Amino acid sequence: MRMQERDRTPMQNGSWRSPADVMRLARMGSAHPTRLSFLRVLLRRLQNEGWKFTRPVWDLNDKGVGRAVYCAIGPERTYSLVAFAHDLPEDMRSDRVIATAWDATFALFDGVPEEEDLDRLERNVPLQEAGRVSVRELSLSRANRSVRLFNHVVDRLSRGSQPDIAEIEAVGYLMRTTAVYGAGKFGAADHDVIRDRPEFKAPFQVEMLSVWLTRQFCADVVEHLAEIKGGDKAVRLSPEVKARLGVGNSTGLGMAPFIIRHPVLLNNWITAREEALARVRSLEAANPEAVSDLRKAYENAKVNLAQWHSEHPIQIAKLDDLRRDFNMLEGKLQTFPATAGPSPWNDLWLWGQQSLSVEGQEALLSLMLEPHGELIDGLSDCMSADEATSFRIDGAMTNQQVRSLLDEHYTWALATDFSQPENTARFWYVSEEKLEPRLGERNLDDGAEREQPLCIGRLASELHAHLSKAPDNQSIAEFLLRHPEHRFIVRRVQLADRYPFAEVQDNLISNDMLPIDLMRCKLAFFGATHFDPRSDKWVRICLFQGAPYPLEHTDGTENGHG
Amino acid sequence: MDKHNPVGEALPTAAARTDAPLMSRNEVSALCSKAGRGAGMSWGLAEEAGYAAAWLYARGLDGPGNLASHLTFATGMTWQDICPQVRIGQWSAGTSIPLCPIALGATLSDYADLPEAQLTEGSLETGPVSHPLLVLPFLAAAAKTLGKNLSVICLGQKTGVTTNGDVLGDVTALSAGRVSELKIQIETLEADSFRERSVVPVDLETIEKLNNFALKTTVPPSERSRAGAGSLESDND
Repeated sequence: MRMQERDRTPMQNGSWRSPADVMRLARMGSAHPTRLSFLRVLLRRLQNEGWKFTRPVWDLNDKGVGRAVYCAIGPERTYSLVAFAHDLPEDMRSDRVIATAWDATFALFDGVPEEEDLDRLERNVPLQEAGRVSVRELSLSRANRSVRLFNHVVDRLSRGSQPDIAEIEAVGYLMRTTAVYGAGKFGAADHDVIRDRPEFKAPFQVEMLSVWLTRQFCADVVEHLAEIKGGDKAVRLSPEVKARLGVGNSTGLGMAPFIIRHPVLLNNWITAREEALARVRSLEAANPEAVSDLRKAYENAKVNLAQWHSEHPIQIAKLDDLRRDFNMLEGKLQTFPATAGPSPWNDLWLWGQQSLSVEGQEALLSLMLEPHGELIDGLSDCMSADEATSFRIDGAMTNQQVRSLLDEHYTWALATDFSQPENTARFWYVSEEKLEPRLGERNLDDGAEREQPLCIGRLASELHAHLSKAPDNQSIAEFLLRHPEHRFIVRRVQLADRYPFAEVQDNLISNDMLPIDLMRCKLAFFGATHFDPRSDKWVRICLFQGAPYPLEHTDGTENGHG
Repeated sequence: MDKHNPVGEALPTAAARTDAPLMSRNEVSALCSKAGRGAGMSWGLAEEAGYAAAWLYARGLDGPGNLASHLTFATGMTWQDICPQVRIGQWSAGTSIPLCPIALGATLSDYADLPEAQLTEGSLETGPVSHPLLVLPFLAAAAKTLGKNLSVICLGQKTGVTTNGDVLGDVTALSAGRVSELKIQIETLEADSFRERSVVPVDLETIEKLNNFALKTTVPPSERSRAGAGSLESDND
């Protein structure tokens, strides 16, 4: 990644962590959200620029069916979340992409929609993938209720009391999104359309804005239904309860291929985070304010950990590790910085590497970044990628040069014996059913002949074997003319020198690979908390828990309800 | 369950609806890549097909239509049938079959700054090419690599591309979908021959053709496959 010059500071400790460490699934699958996570980037911008929020349309009937519009008004442009609330029969509620109906559906509109826009959207948005949106829309999404919590909250509010905090904490959200489509999907505006707008400079800002406005909608719907049910007796959510409610997200395998298919983008996310860590480690002192902020961040993380539940055996073990780590960390932070050594933050980091589990180390990383906004927040400007600039294959490179890149950057792949069945046990494919990405067992499932090219390690290994038999000084252009099947992997390998964090350095088709590790890495960059696997391919998380609401002044009062 | 349709299952057949939907560039690229793969291209070449079709589409030229037509034409042909044989300044197919414009274009982009392309020394002449409009996006990539504007002569008509991806001159001959030899060289056409074209919707027949190819990259559903992809628990909680 090419960091902008102004974002560079000299490194005392010299370095990013090694890609061979950072890009292993075990570590990616332990990623924690940081202040560089995309929802944090969004909230900082909205606050710094003084964005205003209104709800010009609220048209829901007694069953909670109807439409609403939320406007986010920035210094130059306004965006509107158009929400449709539905009455969904229980037997149709599914979080899978193959679902055909949802509790609520949404589009983020570029501007303020007119009545005719709303009518057009009402004909299409509830259909999701089966409808069409236009270049006026930036995202398309949907959400399902957490039935238990939703009903509990409506019931309590309608009777004039607040929901049970234990119930709130057990779930954490009223609705969970099951897909948020952006970037040109289903006719929506291409990313090129918005690329130059400062508010969308960081990745996934459209999606994050849409989900944050959705959180307001969820709270408004339960209050609306409580009022219908309880009349004068009904009360609104207390600010304390409301703050504890995030927006859930339920997601499957579709998220995993994304980070494989966008190697430069992945590289830029990881590089920004590693650069941030390196900057903090290189600091020569821990001033009292930063130490105090670190302890506050730790206290917040401790609360978050107390509310983080999972019934999945893998995650249970990791949470046990993390709780043990936090006990040690608490002791460590009480005496931090212990001595007046020259690099207190680096000392803390090195202690963590010695003492903590991988899960704990990644949590420590997040905590260490927290007090240093001024030093690292600008890195969020470097997290997008213009993939067009890295598309062309440099045909003038020789076979020998490409082989050297493989030897240097794909050691992990070349060390794997792909003739062993366990190393090719699975295959990624796309189902005809709504194009849902799936993972098959090679010796049990049909369709391996339509395998997707996500088995990067094997492709790299095959290229290496083939190049070893080709003339060293032959151009890769000539090699590809004879062996077009290697074109896909050659394009990636040529990125390796410039983008050290582009590849996940694990075998993605082995028998023991966990797709949830890929998903966790991506979700942590979104800013997700409460990572809760429901299988090795399916996960629920929470976004924006504890964050402010759009229709809320800092003093807790609300404005803008129209 | 409906078979996949990248522009939405709600889209009715051509007979029922005449106003084709405006696809995003991202959709065109994704659909055309899948179609290329479904038609038998390697994954890497299929990516080039998606790039080329979307590049043209964004400039108001019928990339998707030309690709659909070419893939139909090339059905059953092997790489060896349709890839260029590279000789200095003179590239043609090893058979009497016209060159694949994606294979030719990608190879040209690969070779842009190598002597075999002869672009910096003189000109490159090709044998007959199927749907030569699809070569234009690769000339743009080559122009960028060389830092020089390029021109291509097709059926006696000259079209230019600039280093920043503008199309100059007339594209009628290239767009006609006819098999033609090409002559490519460094040359800057008059800037006033640039014409802004608005995006033209992809017609439904093209979408259907591309969908049919793309479908060959997907796996038909089964109960086992469906069951294995989700949560182990109910979503009604």
